[in-house]
Amino acid sequence: MIRFIFAGMREAARGSVRYRTWILGLLLVIGYGLIRYIGQVRNGLVVTGMSDQVSWGFYIANFAFLVGIAAAAVLLVIPAYAFHRKDVKEVVLLGEAMAVAAVTMAMMFVMADLGRPDRIWHMIPVIGRFNFPTSLLAWDVVVLSGYLALNLCIPFYILYQRWHGREPNLKLYFPFVVLAMFWAISIHTVTAFLFSANSGRAFWHTSLLAPRFIASAFASGPALIIISLQILRKVTGYPIKQSVIDMLAIIMMISMQITVFFIIAELFTDFYNEGTHAASIHYLFFGLQGLHGLRNWIWASVVMNVIAMIILTINPLRKNGRMLNVAAVLAILGIWIEKGMGLVIPGYIPTPLGEVFEYSPSSTELAVTLGIWAFGLLVFTLLAKIAIAIDTGRVKASGDGVPKTA
Amino acid sequence: MKKNDSGANGASGHDTARRNFFRKLGRAAMAVGVTAPSMAAPAWAGATFLEAFGDFFQQHYKKMSREEIEQVLERIERKARERHGVDINCENTPPKKNAVFGYALNISKCQGYRDCVHACVEENNLGRDSQVEYIRVLEMDQGSTNLEESDHYYDPETVPTDGKYYMPVQCMQCDNPPCVKACPVEATWMEPDGIVVVDYDWCIGCRYCMSACPYSARHFNWTEPEIPAEKINPDTHYLGNRPRPKGVVEKCHFCIQRTRKDKQPACMEACPTGARIFGNLLDPDSEIRYILANKNVFRLKEELGTEPKFWYFTD
Amino acid sequence: MIACPREARVLLALLIAVASASAQEATEGSITEGFSGYAAAPEFSVVPRKDELVFYPCSQCHEFLEPDPTVRELMAPHEIEFDHGAGRIWCLSCHMLENRDQLKSALGEAVDFDAAHQVCGSCHGNRHKDWYFGAHGKRQSSWNEPRVIYNCTHCHDAHSPAIKPRKPMPAPKARAGLSLPEWHRHEKKPVWERDEKPQKPEDSDEEK
Repeated sequence: MIRFIFAGMREAARGSVRYRTWILGLLLVIGYGLIRYIGQVRNGLVVTGMSDQVSWGFYIANFAFLVGIAAAAVLLVIPAYAFHRKDVKEVVLLGEAMAVAAVTMAMMFVMADLGRPDRIWHMIPVIGRFNFPTSLLAWDVVVLSGYLALNLCIPFYILYQRWHGREPNLKLYFPFVVLAMFWAISIHTVTAFLFSANSGRAFWHTSLLAPRFIASAFASGPALIIISLQILRKVTGYPIKQSVIDMLAIIMMISMQITVFFIIAELFTDFYNEGTHAASIHYLFFGLQGLHGLRNWIWASVVMNVIAMIILTINPLRKNGRMLNVAAVLAILGIWIEKGMGLVIPGYIPTPLGEVFEYSPSSTELAVTLGIWAFGLLVFTLLAKIAIAIDTGRVKASGDGVPKTA
Repeated sequence: MKKNDSGANGASGHDTARRNFFRKLGRAAMAVGVTAPSMAAPAWAGATFLEAFGDFFQQHYKKMSREEIEQVLERIERKARERHGVDINCENTPPKKNAVFGYALNISKCQGYRDCVHACVEENNLGRDSQVEYIRVLEMDQGSTNLEESDHYYDPETVPTDGKYYMPVQCMQCDNPPCVKACPVEATWMEPDGIVVVDYDWCIGCRYCMSACPYSARHFNWTEPEIPAEKINPDTHYLGNRPRPKGVVEKCHFCIQRTRKDKQPACMEACPTGARIFGNLLDPDSEIRYILANKNVFRLKEELGTEPKFWYFTD
Repeated sequence: MIACPREARVLLALLIAVASASAQEATEGSITEGFSGYAAAPEFSVVPRKDELVFYPCSQCHEFLEPDPTVRELMAPHEIEFDHGAGRIWCLSCHMLENRDQLKSALGEAVDFDAAHQVCGSCHGNRHKDWYFGAHGKRQSSWNEPRVIYNCTHCHDAHSPAIKPRKPMPAPKARAGLSLPEWHRHEKKPVWERDEKPQKPEDSDEEK
């Protein structure tokens, strides 16, 4: 097994000039983010734009979005294993690599947001105090760690067997795959519950929040998978069937329609008889007391989501590769805005005592965020490289050889 | 070192052994830290290495033995001397028996002076450069209870302003506190005397409790609190007004360092109009019980089921 | 800022409590002989006021002055701001003509200056009851110690009792490094201010 790990590391380290440049670029961004993060640890979170009024910001916004991306890996796992789609089975490891990257990023965003990261051991049961099952944050730690473990162990086993030239034993790992299917839904549901549990914040305290999370995750996740698979296909020549992309596009279409429907439902419910409970959504879409920092963003997001939905709904447009990519990018951006800043910040505006105090991320937050995204991209790149290399037979226990043709 | 067996709690032998190992490790670290300060040289953030070591392994308040808490109190006093050059006295006064604290505030009498706000800042060693004020006085429109129309930053020539009334808000010390449920490390809990406290040395600064609180009562140390040395209140409590580090949450604790020693909370003492009444809810003859039985009382956001122990009344 | 004596003068308070208790004993059971407090109220003692009074004992001067019950404006040293009762009362409504070292209740009984609340309570009965039970007034002693409370006149100038407006302490600040925004609120007009037209109901008798 040590040999396997070293072989993987070796594979990760070699590649074309383009590959190395990409890795180097990522490392530079990660390095800069790290430097800014150290500044944050030394000076305190005062270097961010957060305040007592808006106590969660850009870090948690990205966290919420990324947990959704991680959950969306299940959209490859289910067709591959439950519906026995061979074309999807070929790329399911790449989906799981994305899940690992996304969960890692999500956990890093939470760590970056902590006021005392040195005290993280306080969460360990027995030696610390872990408020499970009462605290939703404790639940989130459990489900995210479990999901990370599942998405590392299952591909590890499969790739390890393939590296040895053996067929992985489906009977052995299938129960874990089924577990991962349900676990994926749970990570995003728990993250939604994290917000919707707060009965003092009317913007979040809706039973629709968990369904909205799943719907938008299943729209933005496949979008990101579609883009990355096409990039991988181009850059590595790994054979990824168009049927996989088509399937993901249809899933994306339905999820996008449901997402837009949910947005309409929220808007109607809050604005038809507008009471003080609607103050946050009023701030988001129209501004409050003359302050409207998120207004342009959310309307842009609505427009992007609607256009993406339209493109996806019209069959000829969805089947057009370029239009599909446009829809995917619009969906990712639109949902990132709507589920990130458009979800977290309005929960704090106005405060429970009625104060309107705005938030915008500081340069430290932007730098650290970019650093973490770069780290996630790095993780995904490395895992994908290793997985593709082993899958094509280029890297194997008996000695690296010529890649198998598709 | 004698092993403290008082808190086995019926845990499994393996768990207890592991727990005791870390306890011993922490105790050893603290013992070394206490007995050999001369060994230490200033390292990061002005703290000695041994102090930082003992600091890092400090256990949760509820799991520390009496000796461990004594050592922690000594360390806090030492740090205050190093950082501010002031001798403070940090105690761990236990809750009074047969007392559950409650607070009533007469909004017919509150004139909006904010004397309570600033007395609290002085009493509780709040950072003077930070924004943290445990009490926030809301200027409300007469005829409305709409918090969204309130003004937190009123600053007229004189108060009260015509057509307004004033409602100070602070931690409600809920009997069903959403913040306690939210905390992933149990750094905040309700003490037997009803006060919801924070172990500032255990809090990891995730701020989920701040999202959970429906009264904006919890505050965060975005920066290290700066207090002028001559203004430091030396009478402190571990769960109360002892100097706090950056990166942790804090809030009103009903002046635990005062009320557990039979003194009025600072806000009540400062209020010139007598609008604030604090007392023991379990004493049927107390002023607060009379108010609850005879006045038109209400609680903020009662519909959320938080069961605040802070009432407002009019007369 | 109202000054308050910081020391709870327990001995003196006890003396007064004993004195007023013995006074009550003398009047027990008779409805024309003064107010004897609320039986259900918790025990308390009152912070004395006499040592705060500049001119006390008043008999220093008034021993030698002819009592004059005519309602008039007084001269120095009694030129005070008088704003109490909107013309319904004047000095001798509360001060005893025959004995200037005592106050006078509504029933005409002598009330010591340290028990001035009896005078106030003659008219402000509801407030007096609140004060007895702790819903009004300020407590000097701790919540857990024997109850020592301030007299009415500690906070209310008896001759101009309404609390005067004053400058508030500073408003809260924004977090270090951030600044407070410029809010633009539009005040919601109440129903009766919204229309231009006068709101009086029409006379339905004419021309119908």
